Amino acid sequence: MSEVMLEVDNLTRNFVKKLDLAGRLAQKLGADIREESVHAVDGVSLTIAKKGVVGLVGESGCGKSTLGRMIAGILPPTSGRIVYKGISLTDMNFEEAKRAALEIQMIFQDPFASLNPRMRVVDIIGEAPVAHGFCKPSEINKYVSDVMQRVGLDPEYRRRYPHQFSGGQRQRIGIARALAVKPEFLVCDEAIAALDVSIQAQVINLFMDLREDLDLTYLFISHDLSVVEHISDQVVIMYLGRIVEVAPTAELFEKPNHPYTQALLNEVPRVDQRGRDYQPVEGEIPSPLDPPSGCHFHPRCPHATSRCKAERPVLREIAPGRISACHLNDGT
Amino acid sequence: MTNQSLTLDVRDLKTHFFTKAGVAKAVDGVSFSVGKGEVLGLVGESGSGKSVTGFSIIGLVDPPGRVVSGEVLFKGQDLLKLDAEGLRQLRGNRIAMIFQDPMMTLNPVLRVDTQMIETIKAHDSSISKRDALARARDALGQVGIPAPDERLRSYPHQFSGGMRQRVAIAIALLNKPDLIIADEPTTALDVTIQGQILYEAQKLCRETGTSMIWITHDLAVVAGLADHICVMYGGKAVEQGTIDDVLDHPVHPYTRGLLGSVPGHNTRGQRLYQIPGMAPSLMNLPQGCTFQDRCPRADDACLIEPGITEPVPGRAVRCCHPHLDRNEEVGA
Repeated sequence: MSEVMLEVDNLTRNFVKKLDLAGRLAQKLGADIREESVHAVDGVSLTIAKKGVVGLVGESGCGKSTLGRMIAGILPPTSGRIVYKGISLTDMNFEEAKRAALEIQMIFQDPFASLNPRMRVVDIIGEAPVAHGFCKPSEINKYVSDVMQRVGLDPEYRRRYPHQFSGGQRQRIGIARALAVKPEFLVCDEAIAALDVSIQAQVINLFMDLREDLDLTYLFISHDLSVVEHISDQVVIMYLGRIVEVAPTAELFEKPNHPYTQALLNEVPRVDQRGRDYQPVEGEIPSPLDPPSGCHFHPRCPHATSRCKAERPVLREIAPGRISACHLNDGT
Repeated sequence: MTNQSLTLDVRDLKTHFFTKAGVAKAVDGVSFSVGKGEVLGLVGESGSGKSVTGFSIIGLVDPPGRVVSGEVLFKGQDLLKLDAEGLRQLRGNRIAMIFQDPMMTLNPVLRVDTQMIETIKAHDSSISKRDALARARDALGQVGIPAPDERLRSYPHQFSGGMRQRVAIAIALLNKPDLIIADEPTTALDVTIQGQILYEAQKLCRETGTSMIWITHDLAVVAGLADHICVMYGGKAVEQGTIDDVLDHPVHPYTRGLLGSVPGHNTRGQRLYQIPGMAPSLMNLPQGCTFQDRCPRADDACLIEPGITEPVPGRAVRCCHPHLDRNEEVGA
């Protein structure tokens, strides 16, 4: 087993909508009103090896972005631990916490919303390294030029504003901003979802080159299974706040274990499948405000039994390096 | 001379936008035809003119845009020669359109039944309200909405994204159109929901003989659904033919590049083929072939605009240097 970069232990994040005055009054008077609480992430444990690429897959509302934001330190967890290089983020002293915050960087989905439109590229990329002492204010131009070259941007453009770039170039600026503070761990939240196919390929290749050159570790959050299959070593599948399956990429795509994973893989359109007969998964993604009892997937699962309704399946090892949360595995 | 078995025959369509900054040739010489019950995949990246092509067919191009020349023959009748009233009678009746964002196409302050009955009454004023309601309910049932009787009385915001798109499709189906133009209808949806919509679309074409134009940037979706494909780049149709033929033996360098940049089963860990550069602005397209700046095969011959050739029977290609060796690796 290679060195562990980051470990997430039983991480939970709830979002609670507090009752307003009228609601509280009504509650006092005996009305059946409760605070609405969403378990966006519900007891997730996960290990990411050094220099690994972990793909985190799930549909909208499954908590994948919330998990990514907690790991990147943007959002505090409700409970549970995030252990980075052996030290829990909450136990770190100021210096350690600052170092970890710099080493874990995030790349966002929307290259239009994540760059300040009133800042020049040189300032967007150069602000953090100057503030944290990676380069002197007088050397900012040279430093930024180097970073821009690394991500395939022409350093000549560093005096420009974000609106003067195309979507793909803007995403490169976002990547350059993350790389400028010499990170070791990148959380990419749907980082290529907003890009055109040909630009997507350029950015995927860039991620892979950077991984080789800089020994980066990635958490690659995406809803696109083909992209995840292409780029990651290990795949984590989430459904309604919980992990349902973790497996090495090749094994997962060859032999998915969890019925949800099977359904997802079945739905992925592929270029080499022509005139196929679509066999859709039944039903909708349930609301996370009111998730189904037991196994969250049971209302849509073709193999569901009464046990799935009542009892939450635990994640169990089904083969070396593979875990899955499904009652069906108990029978075999 | 018109071919009556064709539902739609578009000939050399040109739609230009006359802006202060110059003329943008959004669609510049596109020809294709759709037979009864056939699905045509119209594929391209952003700015390739695929959506404007769809809008031009049913006369939804707003100033400063204008259809400059060409013919759009719908069952032998040229739609471009029709006046506003003639088009109104066709739209929503014989030709329907489904848009990308169902939240924008449904009226948020009207109940679904009101919107559906309006669509029916607009084209058949003699129908009674009860009959119209029954037809609306049948259409909702047809697209797989559970409990259509109750759902008729809901407002759009009470539906999830996938359900909303189904309502939009149901409205398109109300008058049993001969042609549906679907503009990226599944792009905003999750994988399992996309599978459900594709399933409904496929069922519809097979059962009712409705023809469909499916506009998308996703080659994999088109691969599973369409019979024919038309690849657009810079306002021009660069390659078209049957789906198997084009995807298995692409002839145009752009189609090859696109296919090579789609991550998939066999690409794991490898570099993806990337088309160099980015899509040109429609304001200043290069002289001659629009793809020449990004094309590995370009030379002086490409400075003159290539005409449409038929290098393989049943295929139309706009290229001076097509890949004619059928055994060549895609993306090479």
